[in-house]
Amino acid sequence: MTNRQTMLIIEDEKNIGNYIETILISNGYKALRAMNGMSGLSMCTSHHPDLILLDLGLPDIDGMDVLERIRGFSGVPVIVISARTQEREKVTALDRGADDYITKPFGSEELLARIRTALRHSNQAGSQKTQTQTYTCDELTIDFEKRLVTLEGEDIHLTQIEYKLVSLLAKNAGKVLTYDFILKEIWGPYADTDNQILRVNMANIRRKLEKNPAEPHYIYTEIGVGYRMKEG
Amino acid sequence: MSRRTLLQNILVTGVLLGVSTAVAVVFFHYSRNSTSVAIIYVLTVMLIARYTTGYVPGIIAALIGVACVNYVFTYPYMNLNFTIDGYPVTFLGMMVVSTITSTMTTNFKKQSQLLNEREKLLMEAEKETMRANLLRAVSHDLRTPLTSIIGMAQAYEESGDRLTSQEKTQMVANIREDADWLLNMVENLLSVTRIRMEDARVTTSPEPLEEVVAGAVQRFRKRLPDAKVRVRVPDEFLMVPMDPVLIGQVIINLLENAVYHSDSEEDIDLYVEKLPDEVVFHVRDYGKGIAPERLNTIFDGAGVDSSGSGDSHKGMGIGLTICKTIVMAHQGEIWALNRSQGAEFAFSLPLQWEEAEAEDRV
Repeated sequence: MTNRQTMLIIEDEKNIGNYIETILISNGYKALRAMNGMSGLSMCTSHHPDLILLDLGLPDIDGMDVLERIRGFSGVPVIVISARTQEREKVTALDRGADDYITKPFGSEELLARIRTALRHSNQAGSQKTQTQTYTCDELTIDFEKRLVTLEGEDIHLTQIEYKLVSLLAKNAGKVLTYDFILKEIWGPYADTDNQILRVNMANIRRKLEKNPAEPHYIYTEIGVGYRMKEG
Repeated sequence: MSRRTLLQNILVTGVLLGVSTAVAVVFFHYSRNSTSVAIIYVLTVMLIARYTTGYVPGIIAALIGVACVNYVFTYPYMNLNFTIDGYPVTFLGMMVVSTITSTMTTNFKKQSQLLNEREKLLMEAEKETMRANLLRAVSHDLRTPLTSIIGMAQAYEESGDRLTSQEKTQMVANIREDADWLLNMVENLLSVTRIRMEDARVTTSPEPLEEVVAGAVQRFRKRLPDAKVRVRVPDEFLMVPMDPVLIGQVIINLLENAVYHSDSEEDIDLYVEKLPDEVVFHVRDYGKGIAPERLNTIFDGAGVDSSGSGDSHKGMGIGLTICKTIVMAHQGEIWALNRSQGAEFAFSLPLQWEEAEAEDRV
């Protein structure tokens, strides 16, 4: 690899930092380490990493503050590393500009997949025109131009709202979208914060796209956080 | 006596005396019978003694009652006359009634308080045993995998160069397996902290049933990729009030239990059925079933060590105990039974909660 991408790991746990660093280096990335929030911030400004892995529990300043300060000057993709129990925390981090989250404990496959997704989405955002015109994943195809959804070669009839939902998720495939984010995108900024309507629409979509609604293949639920569409 | 009780006593006494005097006036106006009036006051004194704290209000009421009967309702009216026949008897009677009633009431109150306290103590003790059981199960379940992890890591450090690569792979796989088991345990323990201590209930929100089931199955598959599960949920879209993380944990525990304890390679069935007031989750395996003597205590964490099989590491442990705790906190029920082939674990969740907890929604 000629130009290796740089990842900044802001994590105070030495062992977890080592673990992430090992995975990154063995997969051709360059890794930087920061043991606390302040040095993480200064390394972020001096090294311009391509992606930041941010642990929320830091010894000096709250990880959420670090995230906000980074967002103050940079749109670099940030993946938040959080402990399993607090969905609230994940949602807050996502709503404050984190690109994705990963829960401890995580495997190397999972981490690398998240990193690839985040990098791809940030590249896309950089060059708007390369936005893909179709989403394809296994048997499902969405043509954004023709507003056409096909499953195993057959057209799927979705309502207006259902199509908007599916295409929003597909354009962000691999990324988790929070309930709030989806509600605002589809129903506008003054939408009811009650996500019941979203849940019902998702259930209808599931019945049209998935063979078994209890074992979805394309759209996954992240309990308490939001939805994630499988990457094509 | 606190200020509040004092005020309450004065209020009760005043109101009851006022009411009875009014009744007595009306009654006297029509019948001119002062004996009946005295009886009205006796009744009042009794009521006052019953609904106040201590002896004082009753005695004061008796005094006022006697004075009223004497002053208002006996000849000469609007005059105190202590020489009327039977006056001391009436007075004495009312005093005795008030004292006895007060004593009885006070006793009664004390007793019920005592009973309450005893019940509280019993409940505390029960909680304490539950906690102790849990701790015992936990320390057993945590120590076993930890021992093997530490042991294997040490062995690797000490004689790493003498091991064949196959042995090394095996060791790392074992460490991984035990660490997974530990993680499961810790997640179970953490889940219990989501249950409120005061009333052993959980904060619920209406959740789409299929999403919770799908989430649980997905996590289960990630942990045990080789296990086979057939999943079925009702076609109807159902929102069920629950803590989705906790119910997911219950489903995972039951599935895992079926994998480890059925001794069967056959697919596990996970299906949910909707009844009029509740949904019932079933986890059915086609293995060897549950030993009959364990059926009754299977959710109580008992017999962790006593299970006859040598596979005590993967003992039932705290998983099922936690399932029960979680389901109970949802006002549901959990049970286990043997089918003609294999075992079935099931739990129910009510579709409506007894108390309206809408404000708890996140």
